[in-house]
Amino acid sequence: MPTRSRDTSADTAPARAPALPASLPEVPRPQPGRTRRFFATLLTLAVIWGLLTEFRLDALVFGLPAVLAGAGLVFVLPPGRGWRISPRAALVFVLWFGVQSVRGAVDVAARAFSPRMGLRPGFRRYPLSLPEGAARVMFLNTITLLPGTLSAELEEGAVVVHMLDTRADLEADLGQLEARIAALFALPRK
Amino acid sequence: MLLDWIAASLIAIGAVFFVAGTVGLLRFPDIYCRLHALTKADGLGLALVAFGVALLADSAGEVFRILLIWFFVALASATCGHLIARYARQSGEGDAHD
Repeated sequence: MPTRSRDTSADTAPARAPALPASLPEVPRPQPGRTRRFFATLLTLAVIWGLLTEFRLDALVFGLPAVLAGAGLVFVLPPGRGWRISPRAALVFVLWFGVQSVRGAVDVAARAFSPRMGLRPGFRRYPLSLPEGAARVMFLNTITLLPGTLSAELEEGAVVVHMLDTRADLEADLGQLEARIAALFALPRK
Repeated sequence: MLLDWIAASLIAIGAVFFVAGTVGLLRFPDIYCRLHALTKADGLGLALVAFGVALLADSAGEVFRILLIWFFVALASATCGHLIARYARQSGEGDAHD
């Protein structure tokens, strides 16, 4: 069965190539097999749906189309860059990140309740050094949960960060976050 | 019984963080500072409430659903915070104080 499905994906790729204008050459990239990723996504979504509905059969009226459509996106969306996670670094990261997000929430809650608030808000640019893809998305989303920082905008290779208190050491905080995300995705350190 | 008390405490502390997020939303001077209050304080508030409710859950399926809800809300709030801040910067609406 997997061999057959891999054949069909190999058939469709060259069939689509001539449809493209000559000025847009097909980007050669190693494909991990769309059909395989389709079935992996299908299985994951089916398990999630099953757990959501306690494996009720009548819920499949909605679940089956939803799961098929979700897994079908594999054929529509461009494949993401490959990434892997180092399990030990992931555990360390989750613990560290949990502590940081509690600190961030306590900090902002204390400011909200305190009469003076102690705000000195402003924007800072921070150059991105993590590669595009999962690691960078992770970085941008976690900035917002660290104490006093909010990722506001992307600007040619840099992220514009809004700070509640611009006296804080942004470079040290974000540098540490970057190093931890690099470890999480098992990226080579510079 | 002890579990009930722990769960109730977690939910109550979570509610305090939701109130803090709302107070920040009302008191902070501009849209960006307000986003800090909403993304961070409400995020922890939800995590505490979800943890408390999960302690009271009857089945593993319920715990899984609570975890899933927490995960997607956390992801969406960081992403929405970024999108709202970006829109405010690009449209210049963030400069208006009220």
